[in-house]
Amino acid sequence: MLRDLVFASLLVIIILALTYLTYSGGLGDLPPRDVRVIASNYLNLTYNQGITWLWAASPEAVTAIVWDYRGLDTLFETVVFYGAILAALTLFRSVSKVPEFVSSAGLSLVVKRVTAIVTLAILAVAASTALHGHLTPGGGFQGGAIASVAPLLLLVVFGKQFFIERRISYSKLLTIRNASLALLGFTSVALLILGFLTGFQAYIFQNQAKTVSTLSYPPYLLDVPLGGSLFFFNLFEFLAVASGFTLVFTILLSRDETLRKELEGEELGY
Amino acid sequence: MDIELIKFMFMLTTISLYFNVAISLYGVVSKTNLVKKLIALTIFQDTVNMFTILIGYKLWRPGLLLQPPVLTDLSPTSETLREFVERSVDPLPQAFVLTAVVIGLAVTLFLTTIILHVSYHFKTVNVDEIGRSKRVYIHEEAV
Repeated sequence: MLRDLVFASLLVIIILALTYLTYSGGLGDLPPRDVRVIASNYLNLTYNQGITWLWAASPEAVTAIVWDYRGLDTLFETVVFYGAILAALTLFRSVSKVPEFVSSAGLSLVVKRVTAIVTLAILAVAASTALHGHLTPGGGFQGGAIASVAPLLLLVVFGKQFFIERRISYSKLLTIRNASLALLGFTSVALLILGFLTGFQAYIFQNQAKTVSTLSYPPYLLDVPLGGSLFFFNLFEFLAVASGFTLVFTILLSRDETLRKELEGEELGY
Repeated sequence: MDIELIKFMFMLTTISLYFNVAISLYGVVSKTNLVKKLIALTIFQDTVNMFTILIGYKLWRPGLLLQPPVLTDLSPTSETLREFVERSVDPLPQAFVLTAVVIGLAVTLFLTTIILHVSYHFKTVNVDEIGRSKRVYIHEEAV
């Protein structure tokens, strides 16, 4: 009890100190009157056809920052994402080996019909968010997160039987996830490999041609901006996020007996 | 709208976010239930994301164009680009937050599976009880 009291009073003191600092201008002018120089540089360069050696060929600045200007950061964040999902799957690794025989009827007919319509809408929104990520606000991360809601809904409303009948198995989802993450890595070094084969200079994570290296992803598809590698990164990240989350959802919504099998022989504690 | 009022509201939002951080940290530390700890952690995470977005915000003032900050012209002149830069907010915090949200969701799912594991193993999610049962077990082993 005393521990709680000390901790609470400590937090109150910290809040009051932070409030005083913020009020006396510790964070500068709030709200800022203008964006920082680095932000206006990004906004200026992302689709500036006059400076094509610094552009990202995408009118959407956020996606350009995520996958081009600060692409290496995002690659490592994707590694964290990969590790977190992998750890979750490893904790219940036997679920993949246990064939489930469930005869769940799911929820009522009305809920099923409504869910069927809503699921289509969710998938359409997710696909447009991910595939248009280089043109309008959105991208692979957001699209994947939206798309993973659809299988979650289907699992709850139709039951796991629905997935088993349609042969959407654990190993297939795992294959999609691993393949798209491998392709994501390949996209980041594709130009480097091409440069190595053809004798040109190129960089890791190169998107558009620079002054010293002339290799480049196509900036346009017909007459629409493609954003070079941004489109491919968005597509593969979309697949990776959607399949990764679906995998964890299928595990979390498994039967109790299946999940308990994981702990057999561990009665003596950690 | 009065600029002074906007500034006051902005300050109020910032300070309320500090309160949110404090309350969620209190939840993480002092709650004994692991699920409650997880909920507090997600609140903390969302507050920090919100704070980051807020940092990139720009004060609207009379004379600024009220247009969505999207580049609609696919062959922009320098004039359109200048207007686009003028009406946009900072894209950098948004780029950080959008990856943080998805990775946060992945980490939350990981923690959920861990808590599920713990609840099956110890038949409770109360950290005090778990600690006590482990102590009893170690004591028995020593005897």
